[in-house]
Amino acid sequence: MTERRAAALGLVGASVVALAQLGVGTGWSLSHDDPSELELTKRCLAREKGFTIEDPTDDAVAASAQGGALRTVVEGNLVTLSVATSQQEVERLRAGYEAGDPGDRLDVRGRYVALWLRDPTRSQRQDTYDCAY
Amino acid sequence: MAVAAVLVAQGTLLAWNAWHYDWLRGYDAYANDQYASTVADEHRLPSPDDSGVWHTPPLWFALAGVLRRAALDHGWGPAQRPGQLLAAAAGLVVCVLVLLLGRELWPDRRAFHLLALVFAAASPALVRASAMYHPETLAVALAAGGLLVAVHALRTRWTIWSSLSAGVLLGLAGLTRAWALPVLVAVGLAACLDAWARRRWVPVAVLVATALVLVGPWLANEQLAHGSPLAFNRDAPPGSLAHRRPASFYLGPRTLRALEHPVTPLFRNELVPHLYADWWGDWALTWDSPPPPAPSELLPSSVVSERARQSVVGLLPSVLALAGIVALALVAVARRSTAIGLLPLTAVAVAAAYTLFAVVYPSTDGDTIKGTYLLMALPVASVGVGFVVDTLRPRSRAGAALTVGAVVLFVVVQLPFLVL
Repeated sequence: MTERRAAALGLVGASVVALAQLGVGTGWSLSHDDPSELELTKRCLAREKGFTIEDPTDDAVAASAQGGALRTVVEGNLVTLSVATSQQEVERLRAGYEAGDPGDRLDVRGRYVALWLRDPTRSQRQDTYDCAY
Repeated sequence: MAVAAVLVAQGTLLAWNAWHYDWLRGYDAYANDQYASTVADEHRLPSPDDSGVWHTPPLWFALAGVLRRAALDHGWGPAQRPGQLLAAAAGLVVCVLVLLLGRELWPDRRAFHLLALVFAAASPALVRASAMYHPETLAVALAAGGLLVAVHALRTRWTIWSSLSAGVLLGLAGLTRAWALPVLVAVGLAACLDAWARRRWVPVAVLVATALVLVGPWLANEQLAHGSPLAFNRDAPPGSLAHRRPASFYLGPRTLRALEHPVTPLFRNELVPHLYADWWGDWALTWDSPPPPAPSELLPSSVVSERARQSVVGLLPSVLALAGIVALALVAVARRSTAIGLLPLTAVAVAAAYTLFAVVYPSTDGDTIKGTYLLMALPVASVGVGFVVDTLRPRSRAGAALTVGAVVLFVVVQLPFLVL
């Protein structure tokens, strides 16, 4: 066997292995959706905290969040939770809400931007922190 | 000239990175320092209470400990930096040995030597390990030295001196990291095949005896003190090997995410994508980045995009490395060359030992899957890449320019990641 033939066969073999691995990845991606942060948060708030989850329908800032948004009631306090996908988006959402002068009703933590109906208690905030991903 | 330029640039890069890299961010850094301190200051091996890496052989820790002591005595800070510079020097030696390995196998193919050298030098796993306060690069340098001596002996003829040299280098490598033991096994096997053909068994006996004299006491100590010569810092879970890892470990279903978002915690414990992302990038975020974020925290998008670029850059070289190992095996069989065959044999031995380790010791946080654990295979992979590219590259002037351009692009695109 010549060196050129060996190298060509090696390249074919390695390409087959690489394509097979990429094929597994493609097949999985087409047939499965890894849950988003929003879905994980919804699941946690509903299953572990027992809250009822709704979609925010009348909040233009939340509706513009790339990671999605949800609305729920935590210990009697309504909260709209938006999920950002970048720091720039966090700042955009924050600025969108700050135009209404929310004060302590606005709580930004990592990728999560929360707007509460009334100033939240520590316990209410903690419930949303517990379900952050 | 080009070879010298690459080596000078590599030496500068590794020294710069070792000087600027925060030693505490490297793998097991604090435990490594506890180990080095125990060996240098108390002249004993650490117990599991002293250091979390008590299971690692002591050679590098003894050297780093002596350097640490000297740094403290002279007021140099941080005292761990000489240990990092030792790792950097070993990283450079690995590159030199890859070059020599190429010259040993095909002395007249200068392009092949240069290609192998560039692949090794621009491998992110080597560059990262060379900046850490960690024994990995020293072990690879010693094992690659043993491999080089063995390849030379297999090409010519084993002598007592070559057997002694290979035995000493591989024994010292085994006394630095257990990952060198598969290399020792591969060299021993190749030497046995050669001895069988030549009816000369004395050199093999000298090789094995020398290596065992060096590494044997350590293995015996591990057996006596911890119940196994290959004891690890945690017990293996009970049950059959077949059930220790889920199917996703073997299949790597989230492989595509390794190209798009190759950082923790995605595809954790999926062997191929996890290893790939960590070899070409920095899956665990221990390099030039903020530490892994807490839940809900955002990573700067540049951190992810830089590592995603690394993952894409690594695709073709990874295929070429695998192709090279296969091609070297085919050439070895066709020519009945044990010297060439030793290279793919070494790669298979290292890969098999590593996979077995990762299956025996599953971990929820994925800390038994690291690109640097496979650095023992880098010299062979580098020679493989050089062989395939040099053999298949177009011989025209335009082809030569294309090859040079691709190699330059491979290096330049990675520089922002490789230089701290």
